[in-house]
Amino acid sequence: MAAKAPARSSASSLNRVNKKISTQRSSFRQLVNPGVLIAWVLLMAYGAVIIWSASLTNAEASFPRHLLGIGIGVVVAAVIWHIDLRNLANISNVLLVVDIMLVFLPYVPGLSVTAQGMTGWIRIPLVGLNFQPVEIVKLVTICFISALGAQYNGKIDTVRDYVRLCGMLAVPFCCVIVQGDLGSALVVFFGGAVVIMMSGAKKEWVLSTIAILIGLVSLLLATDSIIDGIFGDNNSIFKNYQMRRLLVFIDPSSDTSGSGYNLQQSLIAVGSGGFFGKGIGNATQATSGFLPEAHTDFVFALTSETFGFAGAIVLLALFALLMFSTIRVAAKSENLFLRLVCTGIVGLWMFQIFENIGMCIGLMPITGIPLPFISFGSSSMIAQCAAVGMVQSIWRHRAKAA
Amino acid sequence: MDAQLVVVIAGILLAAVIVGSVLFLRGYSGKFTFDTSGGTAPRASEGEGNTSGVAFKGRFTLLTLGVGAMFTALVAKLWSMQMVSSDYYDSLAQKNQTRTVTTPAPRGRILDRNGTPLVTNRSSLAVTAYRDLADDTVMVRHLANVLGIPYVACRRNIQDNTEGAQAQHTIATDVRRSAIAYIQEHAGDFAGVQIAERTERVYPYGTTAAHVLGYTGTITQEQLEAQKEAEAQGSDASRIEYQSGDIVGQAGVEIEYEKLLQGIRGEQTVTVDAGGNVTGQEGAVPARAGSDIRLTLDLTIQQGCEQGLAHAIEVAKQEGYENAGAGACVCLDCTNGEILGLASLPTFDPTVFVGGISSDLWSQFNSDDGGQPLINRAVSGQYMSASTIKSLSALAGLEYGIYSSSRTSNCTGWWTGNGEANGKWCWLHSGHGTMNLQSGIANSCDPVFYDIGRDFFYNDENPEGLQEMFRRWGLGAKTGVDLPSEGEGRVPDAAWKESFFKDWSAEERAWNAGDMTNIVIGQGDILVTPLQMAMVYAGIAMDGVEYTPHVFLSAVARDGEGDAYLYNETGKKEHLKPHINSDADLELVKAGLHDVIYSTNASTASHFNNLSVQIAGKSGTGEKAGEDEYAWFVAYAPADDPKYVVACVLEQGGGGSATALRAVRDVFGVIYNEPDTSDSVDTATR
Repeated sequence: MAAKAPARSSASSLNRVNKKISTQRSSFRQLVNPGVLIAWVLLMAYGAVIIWSASLTNAEASFPRHLLGIGIGVVVAAVIWHIDLRNLANISNVLLVVDIMLVFLPYVPGLSVTAQGMTGWIRIPLVGLNFQPVEIVKLVTICFISALGAQYNGKIDTVRDYVRLCGMLAVPFCCVIVQGDLGSALVVFFGGAVVIMMSGAKKEWVLSTIAILIGLVSLLLATDSIIDGIFGDNNSIFKNYQMRRLLVFIDPSSDTSGSGYNLQQSLIAVGSGGFFGKGIGNATQATSGFLPEAHTDFVFALTSETFGFAGAIVLLALFALLMFSTIRVAAKSENLFLRLVCTGIVGLWMFQIFENIGMCIGLMPITGIPLPFISFGSSSMIAQCAAVGMVQSIWRHRAKAA
Repeated sequence: MDAQLVVVIAGILLAAVIVGSVLFLRGYSGKFTFDTSGGTAPRASEGEGNTSGVAFKGRFTLLTLGVGAMFTALVAKLWSMQMVSSDYYDSLAQKNQTRTVTTPAPRGRILDRNGTPLVTNRSSLAVTAYRDLADDTVMVRHLANVLGIPYVACRRNIQDNTEGAQAQHTIATDVRRSAIAYIQEHAGDFAGVQIAERTERVYPYGTTAAHVLGYTGTITQEQLEAQKEAEAQGSDASRIEYQSGDIVGQAGVEIEYEKLLQGIRGEQTVTVDAGGNVTGQEGAVPARAGSDIRLTLDLTIQQGCEQGLAHAIEVAKQEGYENAGAGACVCLDCTNGEILGLASLPTFDPTVFVGGISSDLWSQFNSDDGGQPLINRAVSGQYMSASTIKSLSALAGLEYGIYSSSRTSNCTGWWTGNGEANGKWCWLHSGHGTMNLQSGIANSCDPVFYDIGRDFFYNDENPEGLQEMFRRWGLGAKTGVDLPSEGEGRVPDAAWKESFFKDWSAEERAWNAGDMTNIVIGQGDILVTPLQMAMVYAGIAMDGVEYTPHVFLSAVARDGEGDAYLYNETGKKEHLKPHINSDADLELVKAGLHDVIYSTNASTASHFNNLSVQIAGKSGTGEKAGEDEYAWFVAYAPADDPKYVVACVLEQGGGGSATALRAVRDVFGVIYNEPDTSDSVDTATR
C-alpha cells in the first residue's frame, strides 16, 4: 500500500495537473480567440516600430504619445472583453441617440477644440486629451445596424424592411457627412452595408441599391459641373480642388503641386522600397520630408519604404489573419446580433485598410483615413482596440444562449 | 459646352436606370406582400437554401472571398511597384534628393599669330551664397554694408534663381580685395557666404581688332531655342549644352569659333531636402577651360590697318570731305588666304559688353546716327567697286576678243559711243588722248572701258561675258571667310534688272548699253565687299589662284605647346581658280597696275618711290547720288613676287588716289617698316 499509494497519488496528481493544464488551455481558448489576439498584438508592435522610426526625424510623431494610445487601447479592449454585448441588441433606439450625440459632440461649446484647423475633435475635460468621437461612431453605428438587422432572424422578407434598414443606416451616414468628414462617413457606410447584406438582404435588392447610388452620385456630379459652368466654381457643391483631389489617383502626374504631388511622392516611396526596403532611418522619401503625413495617412508608404515588399506583405498578412479570424469568430457565434456586429467590424477594417493602402499605392482616391493599429493617433488606436475587445467579447460569449 | 452636353445625357441615362431599379424593387415588394398575406406559404422559390445556417454559410463564403480579393489586389499592385518597377521608383527617389549645379568654365583666349593675346580673361572675385541665406536678414544687412551695395539689391541677388535654384547665387562680382579679406576674417559672422573665382573677358588692346574678335554676351532666348531644336533633331553629341545665363560669343571670332572657345562647365552634385535646401555635397567634376585659339592676324599689321584707315579719313577730312569717317581696310596674305589685318571704322570697345551692355548704348550702336559701329565693313559692307574693277573688265575684253591689246580709243573727255544723247564724261574732262588697254588701266581712262562695255552689249555671242568674268573671279558670291554676316555683293545683269525693279515698266527694266558702260567701270548697280576686291587682286597677283580668306590659324593644344588643330591642316584651301585665257592678258593687266603706281601720277609715285619693294595697284572713286565719292585703293606687293594684298575703302572719302591710297601705303609702311614720307595729296586723279 505504502508502495502503491505514492504511485497512485502521483498518477492522479499527474492526471490532475494534465487536466488542469488542459482546462486552463482550453478555457484560455474559450475566453480569447488566439488568431485575433496574435494579429492584434503583432500589429500594434509593428505599428510602434514604424512610428518610432518616424519619430526619429519627425517631431510630430511623438513615440510616447503613441505608446499612451496603445496603453489606453489595451485597457479599453480588456474592459469591453468582459462585457456581454448581447444586451445592446435590445436598445437600438438608445444606440441611435448615442450615435448622433457622438457625431455632434465636437459642436458642444465646452468640448470643441480646433486642432490644426481641423474640426471633429473634442478635448476631454480634466484629462486634457484630444479625441475624435467619429472613431467611436463607426463602432456604435455597426452595433445599431446590427441590432436592427438581427430582428429579421437572418432573412429580410420585404423590400419595405430592407429600405427601412437602409434608411436607418443613412441617418448616421448623413450626420457624419454634415459634420464634414467624408472619409469616415464612407467607412460607416461600408461597414453598415456589410451588416445589412449579412442580415439577409436579397442580392437583387443590393445590386439595385448599388445602381441607384451610382446614379445618384453621377447626377450630383453632373449637376455640380453644370452649376460650375453657369454660376462659377464658388457656387458649386464640390469645389474644383475637391474634385481634383478625388480624381488625381487616376493620373498622378496631372497635378504635381497639390494632392498629385503627395500621391507621386507616396508612389515613389513605396516603389523605391524594393524587396527588403531601405531600413530604419534610411527611408529618404520620409526622412527628407518629401513624403507628407508619413506617420498618419501615408504611414503605409513609410512602412513600404522602410521594410520593402517583405515588410508590406508581413503587414498585410497580419491584417489578413486578424480579419479571417474575426470572420471565424462571427461564424462560431450563435447569437445573430453578435454575428452581425462581428461582420460589421470586418467591413470597417476592410474598407479602412483597402482605402488607406490603396491610396498610398494609387488604387484609390486620397482621403484622410488612418490605417488601423499603425497610424499615429490615439483616437483611432483606442477605437480599433475597442473593436478588437468587442470581437474577443463575442468569442467569449459565443456559446451562451440568448 | 460639349462636355456639359455629354454630362447631361449621361445624367438622363442614369436617372432612367434609377427609375428602372425602383420599379424593379416595387415589383418584388408587391409579390411578397401577396405572399405574406397568404400566411405560411412555403418559400421554396428562393435559391439560397431553406435554413438560415446554410444561408449564412454562403454569406460568410462571400465575405471571405471579398476580403481575399481585397488582399489579392493590394499584393498584386505592391508586387508590380516594389518588385517589377522598383528601379524606376528608385531612380525617381534619387532624383528627388539630388540636384546638379554647374560651375562656369573660363572661355579660351584669343591670340594673334605670334601668340600675343588679343582677348584674355581676368579673374574677378565674386561673393556667392545659397538661396536660403536671404532668410537671415541680419547677415544680409551686414553683408550689404561690407560690399557697399543696397540691402534690397543684395537680397534680390541672393534670391535670384537665374543661375539655378540650388546653385550658389552671385551676390556681387568684382568685389574689392579689402571686402573679401574682411569676409574671410569674419567667417563666423558670414556662415554660408562663399568667395568664388569668376572670369571675365579682357581686351588688352582695347578696340584693336574689335570687328574680328567680336564680343560675348548672355545667351539669347533664340539661341537656346535653336539648341532645343537641334537637340530634337539629334545632331552630334559633342555639342556643348547651354543653360540660360551662359556667356556665349555673339559676334566675330567669338561666335564663329564658339565651340572651341567655350569651356565645359563643371558639375557639382548636391543633396537637397524637400524644401530644396542644400544639405550636402557629393561628387564634383571640375570645369574645363575652353581652348585658346590663334588668329592669322598680326598685331603690328592689324594696328597698321587701323591707323592707316584713321589716317586716310583724317586726310579726307582735311580735303573737305566732312562726311568721311566710315571705311574698311583689309590686308591679307595672297599666298595662303590668311587675313593679317582687318580694320573697320567706326569701331566699338568690346569691353562695354562685359557683364552686359546697357540698353542705351545698344540702341545707339544699332542706330544710323551712331554710325553702326558693330558692322564689320570689310566683310559685310557692300560698295560699288569703282575703277578697281577695270582689271577684270580688261581681262574680259581681251578674252572675248572685244578689245585687243593693240586697239586704241581716243579720249576727248566726252564719250559719245552710245550716241550724242547718251554721251558720258571721262573722269578727266580734258581727255587722255589716244589710249590703249594698258594705258587705259594705268590712267583709269573711262572711254576705253566704255568701248568695252558697249561692244559687249552689242556682241551677239557673249553679251554677258563681262559679268561672267566678274563672277569667275568671285564677285557676287561669298568668299567663305570665317567671319559672320559676310556680304555677297552683286553682279548685275539683264535677268537681275528685270526682277529687281518690279514696278518699273518693261522698257525701263530692259538691260541697255548704258548699264554695261556703267558696270564696266564699276559704277551703277554693281556691289562688292572690300574683302572680295582684295581677293580679286590676290588672284591677279597669284596668276589665278584665290585661297579662302580666314582669320583662324590654329587651336592651341591644352598644354599650351603646339597646335591641336590647324586651319590649313589638310593643305591650303583654294577658294577658286579663275581660268586665265592667256598669260599675256594677265601680264598686260599687271603692267597696267604697276603703271598706276609709278608712271601716271607724280603724287601717287611720290608715296611709293621710297618703298624698297615694287607695288602694283588700282584706285577707284565711286559716285553715288547725293553723297560724296567713295574712295577705293587696292594694291599688292611685291609686284614681281606678290605676298601682301591691301584693300581700302572710305565712305564719302573723296578720290581713291588722294585718300584711300594713304591707308594702303601706311599698311605697306608697317609691313616693310618703311613709313610713307610724302605728304602729297593728289586731288585730281580718280
